[in-house]
Amino acid sequence: MQHLDEGTIHSWLDGALTADEAARVEAHVKECPQCAAAVAEARGFIAASSRILTALDNAPRGVIPVAATKKRVDPIVWRVAATLLVVAAGTLVVFRDGGRQAPIATRNAATVPNAVTTSAPTAAAGNETHRMTAESTPVLQKPGNSTQSTAVGGLQSSAGLAEKSALKGGAVDASKPRSQALPPVPPVTYQAEARAPAPQPNTSAGENRKVAGQAGGAVTDNISISSANARAAAPAPQAVAPIRLRGASSPYAASEQVHLNEVGTLRRLGAKVTLYEVTPGDTVTFTEPLSTQLESVVTTGSSAGERARQLTGKAAAAPSKRADAAVVSVPDSQRPTAVEGALAGAPSALVPATHVEVANGLTTITWIDTATGNTLKLSGRVSEARLQQIKISIERERAAAAAKKQP
Amino acid sequence: MTDVERLFRTYNAALVRYLTRRLGDRDWAEEVAQETFVRALRQTSIQNERAWLFAVATNLVRDEARKDMRRRKHLALLAEQERDEMVEPEETTLERAQEAAMARKAVDALAERDRLALLMREEGLDYNEIAEALELSPGSVGTTLSRARRRLVESYEALQKSREEREKNAAS
Repeated sequence: MQHLDEGTIHSWLDGALTADEAARVEAHVKECPQCAAAVAEARGFIAASSRILTALDNAPRGVIPVAATKKRVDPIVWRVAATLLVVAAGTLVVFRDGGRQAPIATRNAATVPNAVTTSAPTAAAGNETHRMTAESTPVLQKPGNSTQSTAVGGLQSSAGLAEKSALKGGAVDASKPRSQALPPVPPVTYQAEARAPAPQPNTSAGENRKVAGQAGGAVTDNISISSANARAAAPAPQAVAPIRLRGASSPYAASEQVHLNEVGTLRRLGAKVTLYEVTPGDTVTFTEPLSTQLESVVTTGSSAGERARQLTGKAAAAPSKRADAAVVSVPDSQRPTAVEGALAGAPSALVPATHVEVANGLTTITWIDTATGNTLKLSGRVSEARLQQIKISIERERAAAAAKKQP
Repeated sequence: MTDVERLFRTYNAALVRYLTRRLGDRDWAEEVAQETFVRALRQTSIQNERAWLFAVATNLVRDEARKDMRRRKHLALLAEQERDEMVEPEETTLERAQEAAMARKAVDALAERDRLALLMREEGLDYNEIAEALELSPGSVGTTLSRARRRLVESYEALQKSREEREKNAAS
């Protein structure tokens, strides 16, 4: 008989041969020492390979990238991130509200006499309270909105963004009932409101804003303030008596801090433009020149997309149809001191020269940034007082940012 | 007990072990095994259950491997990283880990058909079942297995030898 091949030996050892074949192999192995050695070797291979394969049984778990990734990058990460964001925003609001108390008291003392001489409609106070509520709403409850807007902001015009913000604000207004427990905000008497027909108590916030904006268009106060005067006045707030300009009351409601909710960033030639939402529907465009030329802030007060479009698209080009667009200078001695009172505690206690211009319902204020010497511009379809609030908030934020950079 | 439950109880352990040895990852092996039983659910009748299950599992692994070679590379990279990062507290564990790594290398060095035939045999499949699962002629299974065993043992011993030499060099 021929020698056994390796395959047959393994088949025999594995019991895979028929009885006849197995008997034949067995007989041969008994007689053939060479094949007996091959069988011994095969037994060794079988045992050794079994042992080697057993060593594979301590295989690690969870080495699969795809399945593991599906399991591990799970929405909980986003949930945690969102929670942190909400908590952080909430903390910010709480701290800011806390910080607001003192200035409010100061301003109250300063504004009380004025309230007598102006119409100071209660509707306006209610309106302002309403507004402040609306401001905090997107920060606390809609943290995702700002992100969404940011993504859009880089591509769209500010008109489009303003429109979006208006829509967003509307949605928030409709869905979120106003909380009555919010800290009461003292009456804010806008100069514009003093002249405009007093808004009815039942009018909506949007309508009131509109009234304020239109009235702002009619008012043509122009205030120039020197930095030196501001410095002199700042340490002595008790001596402050708000100066009335053309019947304007407590002009700037300066201690009113505006929440600058950043909603987008635009790129322009040589400038970085940051878009803030100060209230739902009211957006501010903050331009930071990359060179040391011009820094301008544009407020697009728009509770309707049409107005935003008009503002950004046509307002600049279209000739003013209103005859009341004018610029009036006010001597330094008549500068509104309430601003300084509020700013005394702020990092940037200097009140730069402010220039006010009203044209076609668009109010614009310009001033010199004392830190950089740049000309800052803030304009929008809101009242001058509102612009002053926004300006102060922006200055505070800028000062805080500067303080962070240079600890 | 349903048919699939019975199939699962009878063959799951062997199938998972086979796949673990084949793939080097127990989670992956369990996933493939489960998918195999899911496919068995859809089957109206299975002639040879064990051969069918091992054949389907083998094909699932093969299809997956074909689909995504990059994933396998990534897997190997991760496994390597994990091995590098692993801190072994005991020498016996280190010894076992080294043995496993060498076994993995030796198994991976085999031709696919040899490897699968050997792994199936280790799970108790007879020659006919292996032939059915791998679409081989029953007469060639013995040759396939003998070749697989010899090569496996030889490459393992070669790895062992080179490791011993490395250790000797490191000690001297």
